[in-house]
Amino acid sequence: MNALTIIFYIMAVLMVVFSIMAVTSRKLLRAAIYLLFVLIGVAVFYLAVDYMFLAAVQVVVYMGGILVLIIFSILLTSHLGERLQVVKPTTMLFAAVLSLVSAGVVISVINGFTFITSTFEGDKLTVAHIGQQLLSYDQFGYVLPFEVISILLLAAMIAAIAIAKYKHQGKS
Amino acid sequence: MDKEALILFFLSAIAIVGIGMLLSWLVAPKSKNIQKKEAYECGIPTVGSSYMQFRVGYYLFAIIFLIFDVETVFIFPWAVVMKSMGMTAFIEIIIFFGILGLGLLYAWKKNALRWD
Repeated sequence: MNALTIIFYIMAVLMVVFSIMAVTSRKLLRAAIYLLFVLIGVAVFYLAVDYMFLAAVQVVVYMGGILVLIIFSILLTSHLGERLQVVKPTTMLFAAVLSLVSAGVVISVINGFTFITSTFEGDKLTVAHIGQQLLSYDQFGYVLPFEVISILLLAAMIAAIAIAKYKHQGKS
Repeated sequence: MDKEALILFFLSAIAIVGIGMLLSWLVAPKSKNIQKKEAYECGIPTVGSSYMQFRVGYYLFAIIFLIFDVETVFIFPWAVVMKSMGMTAFIEIIIFFGILGLGLLYAWKKNALRWD
């Protein structure tokens, strides 16, 4: 057992524990913080398989962006300090069955899937490779998606502002 | 390997903080009373819940931040290869910035950047 395997198991246990705490916590803000630890675990996994860039993206976008958004949306809700109510036993049973079934589906699909080994030449995928591929307009280059992404981000931003401003005017 | 060093760095950072907190919890004298659970130990007692609903303005700022956050993700790989790819990379990023600049312009025009 090498260092990486030990780290994997430590992180896996931590992630499972924090995931369970995130869904069972009855205080919304705490659930968001538990989710933060799960996302850190995902970043560590990316590091472990040498995806430096993806780990950085995980930290910057998910931990720095999405989670801030989640926390802000929690702070926007009015019943912030209250504990969430415990759901009815029938609902709990239904949710348990549903999540077990979906976990079963996911596990069976992953088990049946044959993973193709990477055709990437060279020993390590670096950010330079990603950049080269992203900006190249040769075959298999991603320059068009790269530019389209900016339009997608533009659309998301305009939509967000339009919706937020509309609500604001409606209130006053 | 450097990635293992990095992961160990993360874990040891967590351990150092954790051990520090554990030691202070073990060593520190404890006195428990109801006052200790107050948000402020001195001054006027708080009235009502100290949680309050935030303004929607924070949310708008968070969304705009998130979009530029995602934008930086695409600038990282560009910055690495900018020198070797030269003019093409430069023109491509100018188009990218130009389109996103429109978004900033829209936010500016719609007073989304103003705190009111």
